[in-house]
Amino acid sequence: MAGVDRLRRVIPRSPRARLGAQGGLTVTAAAVALLLPLMLSTYSMSVAVTVVMYAILGLGLNVVVGYAGLLDLGYAAFFAIGAYTSSLLQLDAHLSFWETLPAAVAAAAVSGCIIGYPTLRLRSDYLAIVTLGFGEIVRITVTNLSVTGGANGLYGIPPATVFGTSIVSESGLYYLGLFFLLIAIVFTGLLSRSRLGRAWRTLREDETASEAVGVPATKVKLLAYVMGAMVGALAGMYFSSQFGTIDPTTFTFTTSVTILLVVIVGGMGSIPGMILGALVVIALPEALRPISSYRLLIFALGLVLLMLVRPQGLWPARRSRQGSFTAPLAPREVTATTATAGEATEAPAAGRPEPGSLLLRVSGLRHSFGGVIAVNDVSFDLHAGEILSIIGPNGAGKTTVFNCITGMVTPQRGEVSLRGERSLLKVKPHKIVSLGLARTFQGVRLFEGLDVADNCLAGLSAHQGRLVSRHGLLGRTSAQDRREALRWLTFVGLAGKAHVLASELSYGDRRRLEIARSLMSRPLALLLDEPAAGTNPTEKRELMGLVRQVRNSGVTVLLIEHDMGVVMGLSDRVIVLDQGAVIAEGPPRQIRSDPRVIDAYLGREDREATEAVGEVSE
Amino acid sequence: MSAFLQYVVNGLTSGAFIALVALGYTMIYGVIRLINFAHGDVLMVGSFIGYEVVVTLVAQHWPIALIVLLALLAGMAFTGGLGMLIERVAYQPLLNSSRLAILISALGVSLALEQGAQLIFGAGYSAYPNVLSSAGFTFAGARASYVQVGMIVLSLLLMLGLYLFVHKTMAGTAMRALAMDKDAATLMGINVPRTILLTFMLGSVLAGASGVMQGLYYTEINFFMGFLIGLRAFTAAVLGGIGNIPGAMVAGFLIGLIGSFSDGYISSEWSDAIIFAVLIAVLVFKPTGLFGERVAERV
Repeated sequence: MAGVDRLRRVIPRSPRARLGAQGGLTVTAAAVALLLPLMLSTYSMSVAVTVVMYAILGLGLNVVVGYAGLLDLGYAAFFAIGAYTSSLLQLDAHLSFWETLPAAVAAAAVSGCIIGYPTLRLRSDYLAIVTLGFGEIVRITVTNLSVTGGANGLYGIPPATVFGTSIVSESGLYYLGLFFLLIAIVFTGLLSRSRLGRAWRTLREDETASEAVGVPATKVKLLAYVMGAMVGALAGMYFSSQFGTIDPTTFTFTTSVTILLVVIVGGMGSIPGMILGALVVIALPEALRPISSYRLLIFALGLVLLMLVRPQGLWPARRSRQGSFTAPLAPREVTATTATAGEATEAPAAGRPEPGSLLLRVSGLRHSFGGVIAVNDVSFDLHAGEILSIIGPNGAGKTTVFNCITGMVTPQRGEVSLRGERSLLKVKPHKIVSLGLARTFQGVRLFEGLDVADNCLAGLSAHQGRLVSRHGLLGRTSAQDRREALRWLTFVGLAGKAHVLASELSYGDRRRLEIARSLMSRPLALLLDEPAAGTNPTEKRELMGLVRQVRNSGVTVLLIEHDMGVVMGLSDRVIVLDQGAVIAEGPPRQIRSDPRVIDAYLGREDREATEAVGEVSE
Repeated sequence: MSAFLQYVVNGLTSGAFIALVALGYTMIYGVIRLINFAHGDVLMVGSFIGYEVVVTLVAQHWPIALIVLLALLAGMAFTGGLGMLIERVAYQPLLNSSRLAILISALGVSLALEQGAQLIFGAGYSAYPNVLSSAGFTFAGARASYVQVGMIVLSLLLMLGLYLFVHKTMAGTAMRALAMDKDAATLMGINVPRTILLTFMLGSVLAGASGVMQGLYYTEINFFMGFLIGLRAFTAAVLGGIGNIPGAMVAGFLIGLIGSFSDGYISSEWSDAIIFAVLIAVLVFKPTGLFGERVAERV
C-alpha cells in the first residue's frame, strides 16, 4: 500500500480556493445581469440587448477561433442563416418562434458543413479569405433573392412568445437574450470540457502531431464549424424577434469583424472573456457617443493599443484550464492503477499478434521529392515482439520511410501492409494509429500549451473518434481514461508532473511524454524517430531501459537511430539505408562488421575528415 | 463578339488596378505572414492625396500631363511613408505575438484610416476633376480609350520594375530570402526589420499608384473605396498563390476579367459573389492557389 500513498501524493487536489473566488464572481455577475433592467433607461436596455446578442455570437465564434484555432471572417453568415430561416418559417409556414428553433439551428449546422468542407485541406491563412468569401456570398445572395425580400429584407416578423405573452419590451427582450446566453454558455462550456474540446486544442497546437496521435482532423475541424454555426443561429433567431424586421445590412463583413473583435478583445477560449469582450466592443463605443464623430476612430486606435499591450485579450483562458486530473482519484482507482502500472498492457483492440509473426510488411517502397529519390525500392518485414532499427547517414531516407508507413506521405510506388494483409496505402494517419501503429517525431512534437495529462489523454483519440458513443467525442474524460493515462505516465516516470505544461518540461521528459502519449493509443508497434538525439548519457541509458520495457510489455518497436550505442545495445535486427536503398540487414554483430556498412556509414566520418584535412593542406 | 471584347478591355483595366494592390498583399504576406487588412485603406489615402493635388493644380491651370504625374508621385510618396509608419507603429511590436493579435491590429488600423478619412474628407463621394481625354480607338466593335491603354501600360511597367527590383537587387534578394526563412535570413546578416519596412514601402507605393489611377479613371472616390478594391485584390493574391509575386499579377488581371464578365453577362450585384465562388472552387481543387506558393511544412 506504499504505492497508494505515493500516488495520492502525486495527484494534486483540486484548487478549491480559486473555484470559490470564481463562483462568487459568477454569482455577482449573474445578479447584476438579472437586476439590470431596474437600473437602466430604455435606451441603455437596447444597448444591453445588443451586448447580450454579441456575447452569444462571441461564444459561438469562440468555438471556431478560440477552441479549434481556425480563423473565420464570415461568421455573420450563420447569424444571417439563423435569422432568415426562423423569420421565413414564421412568415410563410406560420410556425411559432420556438417551433422554428430546430430548423434554424439545423440550417446553420448544414451551412457549417458547407463552409467547413472546402476549407478542410487549406492552411489557416486561406481560411481567412474563404470564410470571408462565404460570408459575402451569403449576404449577396439574400440581398438579391426575392424570397428573402431582397435589399428591403423581411418585415412583420411576429415577436417571440413565452407562456402566451409576447416579448416586446426592452427588458423582456433582454431576459429572452439572457436565456439564450445561458444556453450558449452551457453548450460551449460542455464542449470545451469534452473530448472534442481536447481534440480541438491539440489541433490548434499542432495539426500534424494531432493526426499522428489519432485525432480525425477533418471531422473534428468540421465539427468546430458546425457547433459554432449552431450557436450563431440562436443569436440570429433572437435578433429577428427584436425588431420584427431583418435586412441584409445587418450581416456584413463589418458584423463578422465585430464578432471576431469580441472574441479577441475578450480573450480567445474563455467564456467570461466573451461577455467582457461584448461589453467592451459594443457598449464602449456607445458610451463614447457624446463625442460621436471621433468615437470609431478612438475605438480603432484603442484596438491597436490593446493588441500592443495585451495581445492575449482582456480575460484570456487559463492555459491549462481543463485539468483532467483535478478531481482526485478514488482510492479504488489508485489501487487498480498501481496494480497494472508495472504489468503487461492489456491486449489492444485488434488482439495481440503471436510473437515472431509478421506484423508489418514494407515492399518496393519508392518516393522522391523533386529530383531527389528519398526512398528507393525499400523492403523489409517487422515481426511482432522484436526491436528493429533502421540506421543510415543523414538524408538516407529513414524519416521518409516512417512518413510513408504512417500515412503522412503517400509513396509513389510500393506497398505497406499490416500483417501482409491490410494495405496501409492512402489510409489517413489517424486511422493508421487506430490500426495499431503509433509514432514519435524526430523533433519531439508535443501540444505545448496543454499539460502533461492532456497530452497523454490525447493519445486515446484514435479510439474515441465516434461522435456519439460512450467513449465518443462528445463525452467527457472518463475515470477509465484517467486511469489509463496515469498508468502510462507512471510507466514513463512522469506521474508526478501531470499538471505541468508540456512546454515547461525538460528535454528528456518531453521524449518520455511523447512515448507515453503514443502508448495510450494501445499500439501493436511503436515507431520511434531518433529518440536518443540530443540526450546525455544518463538520459540515454534511461531511454534504452524504457524502450526495452515497452517491448517487454508486448509492443513491437521500430527504431530510427543514429546513436550506435543505442542501436547495437537494443536491436534484435538492424537495417542499413544509404541514399534511399537498403544496403544491409541482419543482427547487430553482423552489421558492425559488414564492409558495405563501414564504407557507407560507420567509417565515413573518418575518411571525410581525412579528405578534408588533405584539401586544406593542398 | 464586340460586347465580349469590350468586357475584356474593361476587365483588363480594372484588373491592372487590382493587380497592383494584390502585389502589396502578397509581398507583405511573404515577409511577415500577415494579411494586411489596412492595405486597401492605404490605397484610399493615396487616392485622396492624388485628389488634393489634382484639384489644387487644375485650379491653377497647370498642364494636364504634369498634374497627372505629380498626383501619381505625391500619392505614391505619401502612401509609401504611411505604409512604413503603420508597420513601425502597429505591426512591428507584434511580430512575435500571436498571428491573430497582429491581424486584429491590422483591422484596427484599417478602421482608423477609414474613420480618419471620413473626418477629413466627409462621408460622401469626392469627384476628381475630369482631366483626362476620352479619346480612343475602336476595333472589332469594342472601344478602348488611350487612357485605359496608358493605365494598363503604366501598371505593367510598375510591375516590371518591382519584378526587376525583387530579382536583380541585393535588397530584393534579401526580401526573397526573408520570405523563405526568417531565421536563416537573420543569420546571413540580413537586416530583417529594415527589409520588412522596405516591403511595406514598396507595397504601399504600388497601392498609392493604383489609388490615384482609379481616382483619375473612375473620378469618384470615398473613404470606403479601399474595402471593396482591397477585397478583390486580396482574393487575387490568394488565387495566385499567396506570397507568389507573378501569381498575384496574373490573378489580379484574372479577377478583373471575371468581375467585368460578370458585370456584363450577369449583373454587377452578383459579381463579388461570383468572384468568391471562383476562388473557393479553385482552392478546393488546388489548395495553394493557381500558381502555388513556396511554403512547405516539414514533418
